[in-house]
Amino acid sequence: MGRFVVLTLNGLTEGAIYAAMALALVMIWRATRVVNFAQGAMAMFTTYLALFALERGAPYWAAFIVALLCGLLLGAVVERVLVRPVESAPPLNVVILTLGVLLVLEALAPMLFGGQIRSFPAAFSIVGMRVGSLAIPFSPFDLFTLGSVLGLMVILLLLFQKTDLGLRMRAAAFNAEVSRLLGIRVGRMLTLGWALASMVGALAGVLIAPSLLLYPTYMDQVLVFGFTGAILGGLDSPPGAVVGGLAIGFALSYVGGYFGSDLETVGALVILVAVLMIRPRGLFAWQSQRQV
Amino acid sequence: MLEIVGLTVAYGPVIALQDVSMSIPHGSITAVLGANGAGKTTLVRTISGLVRPRTGSVRLDHTEISRLAPEEIARLGIAHVPEGRGVLAELTVEENLRLGGLWRKDPTDRRRALAEAYELFAPLAGRRHLPASTLSGGERQMLSIARALVARPRVLLLDEPSLGLAGRVLGQIMARIKHLVRERGLTVLLIEQNARSALSIADEAVVLSLGRVAAADRARRLAGEEGLRHAYLGF
Repeated sequence: MGRFVVLTLNGLTEGAIYAAMALALVMIWRATRVVNFAQGAMAMFTTYLALFALERGAPYWAAFIVALLCGLLLGAVVERVLVRPVESAPPLNVVILTLGVLLVLEALAPMLFGGQIRSFPAAFSIVGMRVGSLAIPFSPFDLFTLGSVLGLMVILLLLFQKTDLGLRMRAAAFNAEVSRLLGIRVGRMLTLGWALASMVGALAGVLIAPSLLLYPTYMDQVLVFGFTGAILGGLDSPPGAVVGGLAIGFALSYVGGYFGSDLETVGALVILVAVLMIRPRGLFAWQSQRQV
Repeated sequence: MLEIVGLTVAYGPVIALQDVSMSIPHGSITAVLGANGAGKTTLVRTISGLVRPRTGSVRLDHTEISRLAPEEIARLGIAHVPEGRGVLAELTVEENLRLGGLWRKDPTDRRRALAEAYELFAPLAGRRHLPASTLSGGERQMLSIARALVARPRVLLLDEPSLGLAGRVLGQIMARIKHLVRERGLTVLLIEQNARSALSIADEAVVLSLGRVAAADRARRLAGEEGLRHAYLGF
């Protein structure tokens, strides 16, 4: 029983990270119908930039903001400079392009920041909290991870559902042509969508770096798990992505805890294959009428 | 005034419009008639910027607009109600309507325009918070037209508004549009398959045939020309 609680709490924290990754992938998928395979590498790069700031004496929170702002900027630049010119090309071209961005960033990072494994600080203690004499395997940093992912998601939800800007962004994602006839500057909306998605990814990168350690490919696995979560929820559904990401976090934690951590990746693969076979459009597919 | 001069549009090697010229006077309804494939939809898509002309120009009050992006043309006050699927099915009825006027600066006027739309299109009011995907074909068409009017356009491009609409409802909508034409100087370009009903409400009419202007005159006079009616309009 005690073990189950430990694994559940552990799964919750990791699930929050995968949910963020999944949400980032879904936001870009909805905006431009591209699976952004560079999402992990972009988050890796912005986390390195945060570390760069830390090493030059910046306080943690400044570095945290640096990561998020650089994420915003990197997403916008990738969309504007690289994705936009191949927008009307066959979808496969854009996918290959994001793979290219992944390779370039993972090659660039060791050149700029060194290839060795680095540690990355956490904002709060990573030692489990105590309630009276009871030790809970849940640290203040876990709480912060959960809270900040949740907080960013609530902000995005409010932006998309409650503001005119969010309405424009959703319209542009659903139907670019009709949106343009309504005077919406679709290009700007897509750039903004990529920027916000990339910021969500950057948050995941900074939050997971203390436990995974920082090296050029440290986000690859997180991307795979986030992608699995996104598929689980249905690529078109942001709430689905969050639920899917959390589910992957729990599932992998149980697989790792009960069957050995070597099997975590296999576990993700099994889930991915199972979902694609049983509900290829994801568990939340009823929310969208759109053919993919 | 909307002026089209020497417009030629091609999709690859296929010429859709050839040397088309017409002027659509301020505060009037101009019907564009013709068979399927005559180039009617291409004409409105070119005016709203979705299609780039090969040569020729489109001018709104003497300003060249044929090289502008569709979103900038919309912001000049040209509202295009596309044929069929113009509604964003994933969004609610109210969100669709709000989108119509979002580019306009004055929020109080945007709210007023929204209220007017619900008043005129009563069936939409009861469903404002439902996804547009739950609407019937006719209601979607209604929503599409209502959304265009929320923008308080100077020029309204209507592509087959009768599609899926019951005659009585269409009559009400057209009566409202006529009112806007008379009271506020709205300029309307109306594309219709159904020539008879279009000619009955239009002031001017242009007949397109295979991408060229076959005839242009006062609507009333065109309706009286028997030979033309037989050749192009099928009644």
